Amino acid sequence: MNLVVLEHVDGAPTEVSMQALTLAQGLGGATHALLIGPGAREAAATVPVAVAHVAEHEALDAFAPDAWAAIVCEVSDRIGATAVVAPGTEHATDALARAAARLGEPLAANCVAVTPGNPLALTRVRWGGSLLEEALLHAGQALLTVAPHTVFAASPGSPGATEPFTPELSDADLVVTVRDRVAPAAAGVSLPDAKVVITGGRGVGSAEGFGPVEELASLLGGAVGCSRAVTMAGWRPHTDQVGQTGSKIAPELYIACGVSGATQHIAGCKGAKRILAVNTDPEAPIMSVADYAVIGDLHEVLPAISAELRRTAS
Amino acid sequence: MKILVCVKRVPLTGGRIVLTGDEQAIETKHLGFTISPHEECGVEEAVRLVEQHGGESVVLTLGPADAAEQLRDALAMGIDRALHLETDGEEWDPEATAGAILEAIQADEAASGPFDLICFGNESADSGGYQVGLRCAHALGRPCATGIKGVSVDGGVVRAEQERGGGRDIYELPLPAVVTVLEGLNLPRYPSVPGRMRAGRKPLDVSIPTRPPSRLQRSRLVVPEGQSKQAEVLGRGAEAAPAVVELLRRIGVAR
Amino acid sequence: MLTVLSALALLLVAGLAGGLFARRALLLTRIVRLGKPTPRLGELPRRVRNEAVDVLGQRKLLRRLIPGLAHAFVFWGFVVLFPTIVMALIGAVDRESTIPWLGHQGWFAFLVDLFVVLVLIGVATAFWIRKVQRPERFRGSHLGEADLILALITLIVTTLVLWHAARIAVGLNEWPAGWSPVANAIAQVFGEGTWAEARERILVWAHLLIVLGFLVYLPYSKHLHIATAAINVFFGRTRARGRLEPLDFTVEDEAAMRFGAGTVADLTWKQMIDTMSCTECGRCQDVCPAYATGKELSPKLLIMGLRDQLFAEGPKLVGDAGFQPSALVPNAVSDDVVWDCVTCGACVHECPVAIEHVDHIVDLRRQLVMVDSRFPSEAGQMLRDVERSANPWGKPQVERADWTEGLEVWVLQPDEPAPELLYWVGCAASFDERARATARATTKLLQAAGVDFAILGPRESCTGDPARRMGDEYTYQAYAQQNVATLNDAAVTKIVASCPHCFNTIANEYPDFGGRYEVVHHTELLAELVRDGRLQPAAGEEEITYHDSCYLARHNDVLAAPRELVSRIGKPLEMARSGKRTFCCGAGGSHMWMEERGSAINEERAREAAGTGATTLAVACPFCTMMLDDGMKQVGETMRVADVATLLAEALDARAPSGATSG
Repeated sequence: MNLVVLEHVDGAPTEVSMQALTLAQGLGGATHALLIGPGAREAAATVPVAVAHVAEHEALDAFAPDAWAAIVCEVSDRIGATAVVAPGTEHATDALARAAARLGEPLAANCVAVTPGNPLALTRVRWGGSLLEEALLHAGQALLTVAPHTVFAASPGSPGATEPFTPELSDADLVVTVRDRVAPAAAGVSLPDAKVVITGGRGVGSAEGFGPVEELASLLGGAVGCSRAVTMAGWRPHTDQVGQTGSKIAPELYIACGVSGATQHIAGCKGAKRILAVNTDPEAPIMSVADYAVIGDLHEVLPAISAELRRTAS
Repeated sequence: MKILVCVKRVPLTGGRIVLTGDEQAIETKHLGFTISPHEECGVEEAVRLVEQHGGESVVLTLGPADAAEQLRDALAMGIDRALHLETDGEEWDPEATAGAILEAIQADEAASGPFDLICFGNESADSGGYQVGLRCAHALGRPCATGIKGVSVDGGVVRAEQERGGGRDIYELPLPAVVTVLEGLNLPRYPSVPGRMRAGRKPLDVSIPTRPPSRLQRSRLVVPEGQSKQAEVLGRGAEAAPAVVELLRRIGVAR
Repeated sequence: MLTVLSALALLLVAGLAGGLFARRALLLTRIVRLGKPTPRLGELPRRVRNEAVDVLGQRKLLRRLIPGLAHAFVFWGFVVLFPTIVMALIGAVDRESTIPWLGHQGWFAFLVDLFVVLVLIGVATAFWIRKVQRPERFRGSHLGEADLILALITLIVTTLVLWHAARIAVGLNEWPAGWSPVANAIAQVFGEGTWAEARERILVWAHLLIVLGFLVYLPYSKHLHIATAAINVFFGRTRARGRLEPLDFTVEDEAAMRFGAGTVADLTWKQMIDTMSCTECGRCQDVCPAYATGKELSPKLLIMGLRDQLFAEGPKLVGDAGFQPSALVPNAVSDDVVWDCVTCGACVHECPVAIEHVDHIVDLRRQLVMVDSRFPSEAGQMLRDVERSANPWGKPQVERADWTEGLEVWVLQPDEPAPELLYWVGCAASFDERARATARATTKLLQAAGVDFAILGPRESCTGDPARRMGDEYTYQAYAQQNVATLNDAAVTKIVASCPHCFNTIANEYPDFGGRYEVVHHTELLAELVRDGRLQPAAGEEEITYHDSCYLARHNDVLAAPRELVSRIGKPLEMARSGKRTFCCGAGGSHMWMEERGSAINEERAREAAGTGATTLAVACPFCTMMLDDGMKQVGETMRVADVATLLAEALDARAPSGATSG
């Protein structure tokens, strides 16, 4: 029996959760789902599993990872799950790691493939995706998170039964909970949500040098990103940083300007549907992950693109 | 305050990753090493908190003898003491790592009192297990907040900020607590040379933990394919602009 | 009676003046004695030669002919006229006496007259320059003080010649009056008469009082340079201008360790004398590329700022052992000034009194970087990259020899025999696409000429120069020691470098760490090969202008070899600022890795190069290549920027298109 923890937003499970579900189903045997918090019941109705457990509790309005872990343990125990799978998002990973500690089981984070068996053979991601590790998991219950956008979500089947319940939560489970929220400072497209992201790297040369980058981003309704070198130089805030230790994004189009393409940076943008590199060096590592390239200086190329966009706008 | 920060020695890999012949590790000849980025911010934060509140900071690593270099970097930044859990160089799985760290924490707390705050990196740059800090917190029975990019301590409570959806979620944990932090928490200081020299003279507290059998056992490492795309060159310099705009329209990102 | 009274009066006045002068001189000496040590005693013949040429010969000043001559007249005048002060002292006491023998020589009297006139011409010229011409280099200088000094000089020589005239008028001259035409002519005007005797006395005392007054004023003004300049020139750098003095990190007591210049107490005695020698002439300011492009840095104002702080706090340091001087940055010098410098050395080259501004800047940086951790944040990334990745680009060392793809280059392995020649490629050529072209061209040329060489590949680490010029002496020394160990273990004896910074560091600075090799710049080696006929490039019609790298031309005197090559392959055109007066490309002093404020130095130089009308700008340095190529684009010029090696390789291909080298 496999249990998949699904995150949901606006009444539907998230795409990465469905990817996790697909991987879980690959383990064979029946699969149940677990959804938690406000909106879970609506989202559970569409999930193609035998049973979708919905945990409802007034304390779950705000995210409380220990509560989630307690719920996972409760359900997993109840149904006798041999595997618990979750998407490799910040919150779900957090909750599953706590569950692993409670259950005294190992956790394999960011898996991309599994082969059923005992021990379970799995392939997981290292270095943010630049390296793969094949490993064997020796566990009573296999706890796995699934690396986002590495497993293709299978087309949905028909949903089964929905079983809402109220989990037993202690005060200790609710010590760690979101108490307050600080709203985003600036308006405008956020990096993870933008369809187009234009990133400037070391080649931009200075904080002011980002002018053409910002201009093009604004013309395309996109967001500005930067590499770690830029953040460390103090030219842009860390919130703009794309990379293994920054934001990992998956826009329609990622334009990397003056970025050499170190693996740590690629780890943040390889989810992009298409990558366009603008660089003076035709042999830069970014060229081997880019779909398109312009060989040239970004200070010339970007203004030219902006000018051409304006010129040909109908 | 008594603060512990845990760090890991990781290589600086650059543009491509090359494996050793036996596919068990990255070839690190000619590679430089560093404290994993998230953790370096943890070190900086620990130093700042002690500067602000007084007390003592300790750095700990589970790693090979060479990891002393990273401990000395942390000492140079202003950490007071260093604990080195020395291994033979092979990487331990997250459960085993957490277990060894837990033992060291308990030993140090028995000797000189509890840590008000323990700081881990959210995940290490190389293995990305996402769990060592949480396991330690659970074993110690202390509250833990993860993915933290802002920390402040006041009146026995740590206020931890986590980025989500452009804004920040705020957690408030009573001390003693554990946080796992992300790069962006602060900008780590460049250590002064007098700091480095003093760090070089400080003795490290070295112990050799026993390694339990691994339940997440590596078979081999594989460099993923698809790293050698042939990018379609749209043009050179400003002359490429029309081709780029045509692409933007075709994809549907330009109006 | 008169004589005894005069003697007493003279004793009083001279004693007072002398005493005040001596007290101040003693204080200044005691301040300098507090200065930190620096070895400046070797190469005595060189030092004597510098004194002769730069002090007596006024060489640097004469680079600008009019102001140079004006000053030379005043200076030589001071030297020649010095005995007249003694004469005045004697004459004030006993109006019938003078210096034995010299006072009676007609030719000396003639010299006195001549130099009085020359000094007056010099002073008049100086006034004209300051009041009419008003050159930019005086911006920020204390003009009022200069006027006062010029006025005093005028008064001194005027009272001197008038006194001589007065002596002739009453027949007291010990020399034949005809030998001093000017004094003689004035004497005719004076004539004899009731006032003639008194006039002579008044004038000698006026002269003496002004001289003694000047003596007292001297050590409180910038005219102090007449004492300090000669000393400063004597102790100036004799060899290896590009070499910085290393710090000693092995000192046991950390409190006694010197990490750079944090306060006036950290300055070396040479640096202190530097500040005391400055005359605020502004020649350094005129040639500073930072100042020329609107930045805050003026080498002149830097030294003046340090001087003012030294004079304010030095006396307190001497008097009170517990005195804590304040930080030089930002009190005497702002942070911006410290970081604006590109260490090009143009200021040092111009300075007539051998002030070494670059040493001051680097020592200020050392304190800021190594102790205060206070520097532009983008440079911090470079320092971390040098420290952790062994190169300022932060790229993995395993990729260091990737540029050799397609060429067959011997990458020296640890146990292999020593190569005849080691090609030190440098980080830029290893990791930057524009500089890579130079390495490939150099390789092809060496192979075409049949030169047997090896490279170190991943075992070649950064020489440490970017860290050192940033002020991070600690990281630099770690790499210096590591590289010297690698080179010595490989038994390397001869090295060719295509980067002037690597060249400078290995040739001039590595000997301090036990690394002694024969080091040549690639243009020197290539020029030799062409001369010997081992390379036969085709002559060309292209007009090529050559940009001298600061670290090649100014710091290391490599001027001829690259020009030989350019002349062989094209038609050379010189820029106005060339040779040792070259204008920096803007990358030095670790500026490759720092943001630039104000208009760009590289754009200024690109404009100058394009202004010659040549089609190609030849360079001999990877930084110059990158900066000037960027500069051309930024100012909208299409001039091609290429290393001499690249151009030479193309010329070789032109001669033998079916030959061994491929394009």
